[in-house]
Amino acid sequence: MNLNPMEQFAVKPILGLDKPLFEIAGHPIYFTNQALLMVIVVAVSSLFLSLAVKPNRLVPTRGQSMAEMSYEFVSNMIHSATGEDGLKFFPFVFTLFIFVLCCNFFGMVPGSFTVTSQIAVTFALAALVILMVIVVGFMKHGIGFLKLFVPHAPWYLLILLIPIEVISFLTRPISLSVRLFANMLAGHTMLAVFGGFVVALGSAGVWAPLAIAPMLLIVAIMLLELLVAFLQAYVFAILTCIYLNEALHLHDHH
Amino acid sequence: MRFFGLWETVLTAPDPDRLNDLGKRLDELQTRQAAKTQRQAPSQSSIAFRFATELVAALVVGGGLGWGIDWLCGHFGFHTRPAFMIVFFVLGAAAGIRNVMRAAHEINAEIARKRSDKETGS
Repeated sequence: MNLNPMEQFAVKPILGLDKPLFEIAGHPIYFTNQALLMVIVVAVSSLFLSLAVKPNRLVPTRGQSMAEMSYEFVSNMIHSATGEDGLKFFPFVFTLFIFVLCCNFFGMVPGSFTVTSQIAVTFALAALVILMVIVVGFMKHGIGFLKLFVPHAPWYLLILLIPIEVISFLTRPISLSVRLFANMLAGHTMLAVFGGFVVALGSAGVWAPLAIAPMLLIVAIMLLELLVAFLQAYVFAILTCIYLNEALHLHDHH
Repeated sequence: MRFFGLWETVLTAPDPDRLNDLGKRLDELQTRQAAKTQRQAPSQSSIAFRFATELVAALVVGGGLGWGIDWLCGHFGFHTRPAFMIVFFVLGAAAGIRNVMRAAHEINAEIARKRSDKETGS
């Protein structure tokens, strides 16, 4: 048994698909465990949400109620962070939220793979958000969007402040992606480390009964991780809303 | 009105009083639950983690940007290394503090919003 706590994050081609699917500019593209998990997440979440609202009853079934609650949760979040005109971006934010949430939760299933523990995935999502913000900002305000980088200050301070604002804007995709990735990575590593303790103690003869202690700890961390899984998806979505709000309303928030 | 289909056969029409009563009770329950779930501010550790990432990310971006500008200058024959990196690292530190202040504003606004939600009970 492999006790390396980082082994769970290895991206590798899944069984039976050792040959690359196709090549892009000489780089072989594999169908990996990560790709499989993403396909599962997208399939399960879209199937669940579309089937749950199919009966469309006045008194909802349990599934319909879950779908409606998540709808209301996200729509309230967008409304409180960006106001009425932010609701145009509901499909984008909702998809992002459900995708991250489901990736986090599917990662909690023992033996599966946590897609959001890969910086490549979280950075791609964060870059998508920031590109979206930039496109929306320029579409709404034209070149006036650049006023976002010009705070209210005398001109001699602007020489310093504009580079600072630009750097501050450029940090967003990084802090957005690192926050999600680091939380998931740390949590799952911790679970694997304590799992290793259980195995090591359990096979240590007389000390074997002591293995119950890290076992109980794993249960507690597991609960904490479920909370973190939801919280990080929420943080990702609410920050998307906050950035969209800035693109829509520039300096109004001061 | 499919829900009242069963009563319709008995009463021929849903009782408006009972419907209103149901609506009122549902509203009450929802406000009570909203107040309960929205009471917590974001936890201390998540705030601390947020500030740390904002600060470090700004330093990395600032330093990286300066390094890139130095590299470009070197490419065109100007030996500026490491002048731009130093300048942009300092600017990055300033941007990091700006980020942290902004994040603190956002968290305060969130807490204030939750408090006012609780008071108005909506």
